[in-house]
Amino acid sequence: MNEKPLAVDAVGITKKYGSLVAVNELSMAVAEGEVYGVLGPNGAGKTTFLRMLFGLIRPDSGTLEILGRTWQQDGPRALDGVAGFIESPKFYPYLTGRRNLELLAGLDGGGAASRIDGAIDRVDLTGRDRDKVGGYSFGMRQRLGMAAALLRDPRLLVLDEPANGLDPAGIRDMRALVKRLAASGLTVLLSSHNMDEVEEICDNVTIMRTGDVVYHGTIDRLREQAPQQAHRITTADNAAALALGDAHPNLQIVARDGALHARAEQAVIDGYVARLVAAGIAVRGLALDEAPLEALFFMLTETSPQSVPSAFEPAGAVA
Amino acid sequence: MGTALLWELRKLGSQSRTRYTLLVCLLAPIAIVAVINSQQRPPKDTLYGRYVHESGYAMPLLVLGFAAQWVFPLLTSIVAGDIFASEDQHGTWKTILTRSVSRSSIFWAKTLASASFAGLTLTVFAASTIASSLLIVGTQPLQGLGGQLIPSATALPLVVASWALALAPLLGFTGLAILLSVKSRNPSVGIVAPLVIGFVMQLAGSLGGVDLLRRFFLTTPFESWHGLLVEHRFYGVIEQGLLVSAGWLLVCLAVAYTSLRRRDITGG
Repeated sequence: MNEKPLAVDAVGITKKYGSLVAVNELSMAVAEGEVYGVLGPNGAGKTTFLRMLFGLIRPDSGTLEILGRTWQQDGPRALDGVAGFIESPKFYPYLTGRRNLELLAGLDGGGAASRIDGAIDRVDLTGRDRDKVGGYSFGMRQRLGMAAALLRDPRLLVLDEPANGLDPAGIRDMRALVKRLAASGLTVLLSSHNMDEVEEICDNVTIMRTGDVVYHGTIDRLREQAPQQAHRITTADNAAALALGDAHPNLQIVARDGALHARAEQAVIDGYVARLVAAGIAVRGLALDEAPLEALFFMLTETSPQSVPSAFEPAGAVA
Repeated sequence: MGTALLWELRKLGSQSRTRYTLLVCLLAPIAIVAVINSQQRPPKDTLYGRYVHESGYAMPLLVLGFAAQWVFPLLTSIVAGDIFASEDQHGTWKTILTRSVSRSSIFWAKTLASASFAGLTLTVFAASTIASSLLIVGTQPLQGLGGQLIPSATALPLVVASWALALAPLLGFTGLAILLSVKSRNPSVGIVAPLVIGFVMQLAGSLGGVDLLRRFFLTTPFESWHGLLVEHRFYGVIEQGLLVSAGWLLVCLAVAYTSLRRRDITGG
């Protein structure tokens, strides 16, 4: 069997702060060329794991290989071929964006300095690169962070919530950039608390909750296990509509916040709406309530483990 | 480590604060010498104050005594007290430590850069003070601390050596500022605290009955040049000053290094 080499191979990583277990026995295998998502709400342990990957903090136990190297054996050379940023990228505000990149290129050595112009162009900062970073918007700093990562000509790009704090246009541009980079064969490890982002960009995902892994596997497999689509329905007579819905087979319906929330296959929803109209109940609004994957994400990360559907397969085997 | 040192020196060179400090070291002594020389009544209660109009070699020694009180600790703290803490302030530890560079390299690069800056400021300050004093006041013979007259040709190397001896405690203060910068993670503390500690040591040193303790104060070696200007020179005080300064430097750097190496970088 010809398996791809691993860009990240984490086995049993644990990090504690006093009695708080920030990351508990995390195992993860990211193959080279893969776009891998680490998903979870704030406080799930995503950033703590990425900090350990970059050597900013040390795990209490477990082993971590990055592109075949370890911190114990290779020291900071473990980061050769790795680039990215943790949380929001930070720079010296009294220097220009370009000067910041020049300084970092000096630390990187090699041909990093020759990549500055290309990196600035790739993240659309041309024309603003000679302005002081102190005057940059949040989105521009994110893009400068991406440029700083690209200087290293990485094989593995690690991005911690890259779209965090961006406006909708910024989010669109950042996702497009990550997809372009991934298409060029780069391995991308991306952390996010946004299911849409991970679904749009990633092939595989690990979902974390308060330090524990609650799922890892492909997005496709996750999609298969997601609950049915939910709709928000408002009618002229919600009480009558609810009574009609309760009698409707294969339809889960509840009244909440002045509307009805129905979960079923699309054909069942269509049939239910047709019955409402036939019964003389005017339908005033029909909207998608919660995407199936989003619903599953909330189910995995917010509810007690006992309330996750029994059919759900939690953490798949790590390669 | 050379790469990291070059990076740190480039960064320092990009900071206007560094350039302005060097400019002040160059220009301020000229103004100070000119102002003191123009005064009818010299500061007679200060060492060499009564001789400032009589010899251009007395003026640099007066300035040296004054600078040791707070100027030298401040000059070195401007960079050394800020150099680590500013990475915390800007949240840039994670930016530099995610680039295949070790904490040891960064630590020694910052330490060497701070020490180089301290040496450079002292050199510029000394050169400016001595040159302007000789040009404004003249090259008359110098009165020694034992009352002997030191001829001009001998006075110049002695004055230069006196200033050079300040380098040892200056580096001691550099180490102290680095330690406070690493531990406090606050540039203001890193810059101001060495100055305050220096004042406290001077104040404590001026009290009676603390002779033994006074030997170990970091401010005491700033006075070791006195041994050069007596008729029969004594070097014991110079050796002691070097040892005390080295002790402060080594202990401060050891604690700072260990602290940085063990630290979890979680901020920013």
